[in-house]
Amino acid sequence: MDGHSPKLASIPASDSTVWADASPLLQAACTGLRDGELIHGDNFNLFAAMSALEIMDPKMDSGIVCTYYSIDEAIENGAAPIPISLDSTIDVQRTIDIMDHLLACEAAWHKGHSLAQTVFSCIYLLRLDRTAPHALLHSYCRVIRATCKAVVSVVSDARAHEEEDLFTMTYGLPLNGDGDDKCLSMLNAVEETISRQLRACKAASSKRRLPEDLEPLQSNSNLEEGFCKALLCRLRFRKHFFHVLACMKRPQGRGLESARKHIASCMTELESILKSADFIRSCFGESYEGDIDDKTTASGREPIGFDAMLNSRLSAPTPPRAIKILSWKKAVQYFVKLLHDLDVICSYPLDPHLESLLRFVVQFQISQPDLVARSHLQLLLVQDGKLYGRDPFFAVITKAAALPEATKNHDIQKNESILQLGMLVMNLLKILCTNAAWQRRKHGKFLQDWRVIYVQLELAFRNEFGEVSSSSNDENICMKIFQHILLWVEEKTYWIAFRFLILGFELELYSTSEYCMVYWYLYAVLTKLAEKTHLKIAVSYDIAKRKGKKKKDSPKDLARESRIPPAVLFLQCYICLAEGLTMILAALRNEISVFQSPGPFNTEQEKFVQHFELLQRACIPDHVSYPSYKESTTHACFSTLAMYNYFKDAQRIAKEVKSSFSNDPDRLAELRKLEQVAEHNSVAQNLICRLGALDPSLKVSFELSHHPFFATVVVKRS
Amino acid sequence: MEAMPEEKAEFEEAEIKYVSYGGEHHLPLIMNLVDQELSEPYSIFTYRYFVYLWPQLSFLAFHKGKCVGTVVCKMGEHRNTFRGYIAMLVVIKPYRGRGIATELVTRSIRMMMESGCEEVTLEAEVTNKGALALYGRLGFIRAKRLFHYYLNGVDAFRLKLLFPPPPRQELSPSLDT
Repeated sequence: MDGHSPKLASIPASDSTVWADASPLLQAACTGLRDGELIHGDNFNLFAAMSALEIMDPKMDSGIVCTYYSIDEAIENGAAPIPISLDSTIDVQRTIDIMDHLLACEAAWHKGHSLAQTVFSCIYLLRLDRTAPHALLHSYCRVIRATCKAVVSVVSDARAHEEEDLFTMTYGLPLNGDGDDKCLSMLNAVEETISRQLRACKAASSKRRLPEDLEPLQSNSNLEEGFCKALLCRLRFRKHFFHVLACMKRPQGRGLESARKHIASCMTELESILKSADFIRSCFGESYEGDIDDKTTASGREPIGFDAMLNSRLSAPTPPRAIKILSWKKAVQYFVKLLHDLDVICSYPLDPHLESLLRFVVQFQISQPDLVARSHLQLLLVQDGKLYGRDPFFAVITKAAALPEATKNHDIQKNESILQLGMLVMNLLKILCTNAAWQRRKHGKFLQDWRVIYVQLELAFRNEFGEVSSSSNDENICMKIFQHILLWVEEKTYWIAFRFLILGFELELYSTSEYCMVYWYLYAVLTKLAEKTHLKIAVSYDIAKRKGKKKKDSPKDLARESRIPPAVLFLQCYICLAEGLTMILAALRNEISVFQSPGPFNTEQEKFVQHFELLQRACIPDHVSYPSYKESTTHACFSTLAMYNYFKDAQRIAKEVKSSFSNDPDRLAELRKLEQVAEHNSVAQNLICRLGALDPSLKVSFELSHHPFFATVVVKRS
Repeated sequence: MEAMPEEKAEFEEAEIKYVSYGGEHHLPLIMNLVDQELSEPYSIFTYRYFVYLWPQLSFLAFHKGKCVGTVVCKMGEHRNTFRGYIAMLVVIKPYRGRGIATELVTRSIRMMMESGCEEVTLEAEVTNKGALALYGRLGFIRAKRLFHYYLNGVDAFRLKLLFPPPPRQELSPSLDT
């Protein structure tokens, strides 16, 4: 550690402290214990000892000095000079490098690394006030700081980040700055100056002289225009991004339209930023070796003024693992995606129909939006205990349960179980905004609560209306409310169970040897879901009919009533695929012993119990168990498989129902995928039935190549 | 920096000796193996915690006197279940792919089962295909996915093995035929 030991002056003794040499004490302590002995005390046992650190071990001791002992020492040694260079051209180039690296750091932070190791590895940001003489750097850093603070606030409020808690830990970093609310006006002033400069150098060809009060940005007049443009798009991106965050924060979605305009501007500026890379690299003169695409700056140079280790003592006793900052190109791509995801959120028309909202959120999650986007969505959906900060959840539920509009004012909303139901719906929306892994765990956990609410409501219903005789008008309404809500709660419960099961495919939780039981259980849940959905729609059609005061059912009405609603047909398509896959997997297992994995310690039954424990505990569905699974699948074989082709049914239904969804591009797209799966699997099934038992060279695999949770059966010759 | 291609050791499976943790003399062997192969910075106290409290659950594999693999585990009560936990599993590179890790883990799990554990659990990186295949063959399922579990941003699976319920005790003595 020679030459790097801190000067004693930088850690001065105070009135109550003094430096003393502890070496003799440590020496004596070393000989005081033999190998294998441990000091034992009330608060210090083997478990507690695991938190011990070995001092001076760089993997464990974050107090070790790596480069500089402190930020001040780093500054004293010129790690973050102001101005960056006395040569104005180099100063501008280095400023752009700092801006680019900060963008890369910001993207790395969003992606899940700590603020301390990313954005706040910037010494200029850690001591913002000293950058005041450098207007460009100063205003840029202020906006960055204010932006980070705004983003931390959104993510904290959403608390969608429980699994991603590194994000909001600010460890005493200087996020709050006096006057940061004025950061935009500072940025605007700098932008204005550079804009004027740009206009001046563009006009310089026609006019001989620059206006007297305008100083060029830097000394090389050939490069002036390029630098102005490179800086302007970077400044403007920050300005518009800050506006996006401010607009989206406005309550009840009032700022969404404005946000979209700023998002569009951000996208334009990001394009300009990317285009500026050519200029920035060309004014270098040096040829660049190595892969420039990996670098964190457009120029490919290392930026001045960053040291990730300076904050290590702030984070934890153990030094943080070294992280890789995103490349500049990837950082820009990240922001493009983030802005796209935010734009989708801002385009949402705040539909008061819960069913449409649920479909929107599920669809939104397919593109795997990151934490910042998901937090914004959650805060839009649930504010002040209301949907969009506007609709009380009881009103949302009554609408979803196809009850008349006036029901939303009914006193029944004060019922304890109804209040709890409102909370469950609110929680459901929050859960749907979290990452898939977290989401699945929460769905599993809350299934129990949905079941309990159903039981409680049913009990309350029976207590109130046990004897249904001629009842008063109000009792009639109460009864109707209970009936509709009970039906709706059941349907929602099965929907959550369905989500729980299919998320397992996305998260790669199931091995192929477990597919048979998973598709079987999915079939059971989907059957119930279709039943409840059908009932719910029938009941809502009933209401509509009554409203219409029709005296006689016209043939058209009768036809509509007997036709299965498209939403239910869609589910029936799912059911056919699930059944088909269960049977083909069972037949393969029974006939040629594939896709089973007997282990030395347990059986298929234990795996069944583990995978479906939460569903079983909540009795979703009833009368479903490992023995009933075995019974359904034990006799499957190639000859029984040949007798019925569920995949052909699925194909037929998918074709039939397409026209009903002509206005719904997402469902149409999914139907096309379902058709593909059904077609492939139908052909594969025929092949297997004809050749399966006879041809040992046939290799069958199940790939999620067309649809996220229905596998395509692939048959190959090995 | 060496740039040697990885060489596979040549040996018969029967030449590998498996030994239960026997005392302080085994500790530096375990520590060296784990320090070498895994990136976690464990202090000596971490190792002591496991091998002192549950020596019967840790095993070492030797080939001609050289320690080539080890498994370190614990067990205890967790939310009303008595559960085993596999903390570390290492086999040095030249000896991989020959079933040594499987044998080490199997011995430990058997000991857990005999000690009354109801289940066994561990975490593994979603990208660690070898570990996932190994534990899959032993009957573990992927119970949960843990988002960004590791500091390098990689997700983990929580793997769990559920033992079948123990056979019911005979209430009356069986009759002699």
